[in-house]
Amino acid sequence: MEEQFNEQQSLKLIQEMIENAKSKLEAGSFYYLLWGWLVLAGTLIHFGLLYTQFTYPYVAWPVIMVAGLIGTALGVRKSKARAKTKTYLANSIGFLWTGFSIMLLFILFSAMMGKISWSMSNILIIALYGLSTFASGGMIHFKPLIYGGIASWLIAIASLFVAPQFTFLSIALSIIVSYLVPGYLLRNREKSQRHV
Amino acid sequence: MFKNLDPILHSQLRLSIMSLLISLESAEFSYLLEQTKATKGNLSIQLNKLKDAGYISIKKSFRNNYPLTTCKITPKGISAFEEYVEALSGYIHKNKPTDH
Repeated sequence: MEEQFNEQQSLKLIQEMIENAKSKLEAGSFYYLLWGWLVLAGTLIHFGLLYTQFTYPYVAWPVIMVAGLIGTALGVRKSKARAKTKTYLANSIGFLWTGFSIMLLFILFSAMMGKISWSMSNILIIALYGLSTFASGGMIHFKPLIYGGIASWLIAIASLFVAPQFTFLSIALSIIVSYLVPGYLLRNREKSQRHV
Repeated sequence: MFKNLDPILHSQLRLSIMSLLISLESAEFSYLLEQTKATKGNLSIQLNKLKDAGYISIKKSFRNNYPLTTCKITPKGISAFEEYVEALSGYIHKNKPTDH
């Protein structure tokens, strides 16, 4: 059986359904907080160990990377199992962060091969955080991420003029302003939207 | 003269389905069921009508051993939806002065 309905009702229905489909949440805060805390811990450990006699100040990074990758894989698996729809937005964000990971590996590889210094790789990574959070913020219309991205770019520029070991503190600062602070604010937004 | 409204789209449930799919890359059957509040049988029938018209594509697969139906709007469906909205606004503008 099909109900008859007029043009006004038809338009109202379209608006309602589009609004419903749009209000799907992208639970991004989990990843910002996960990587934010891990990278903050990694950089501070690395910076601290530079002032000891320890031969391998980068010792914490493999553990941190593995923990981050496991956390990310679990998060993606959980959200895929829960999501009943695929949005264009989630797809674009996925491409952006995949591109980010490839760029990150490229920068680390260049440093490992001795093509760029470790301090320069730190600065490029900060600028890359800037790009990714700036673009993500624009996509999900979330200003703290946009401002965090701009702040990271400014930190990257300022870091060109500091002693090499202090670029680790620059990463720590960049992670706080572009991942952790926006991450907590985003989590609050997600919570408040869930309660609507 | 105003264009006729596409009879395939001018039905409450089929229009709801199309309005949801226009904003998403793809959606599962259970999501459409939740949002449209239709019955499973009716939703299946209307999805098949949209599929026969070439407006949507339906992919059947499995997830954790359970059947999974995923629907996606086709380019033909997008243009049909756009034409429908255009025709609709024509009707609404025509009726506006006498609308009480």
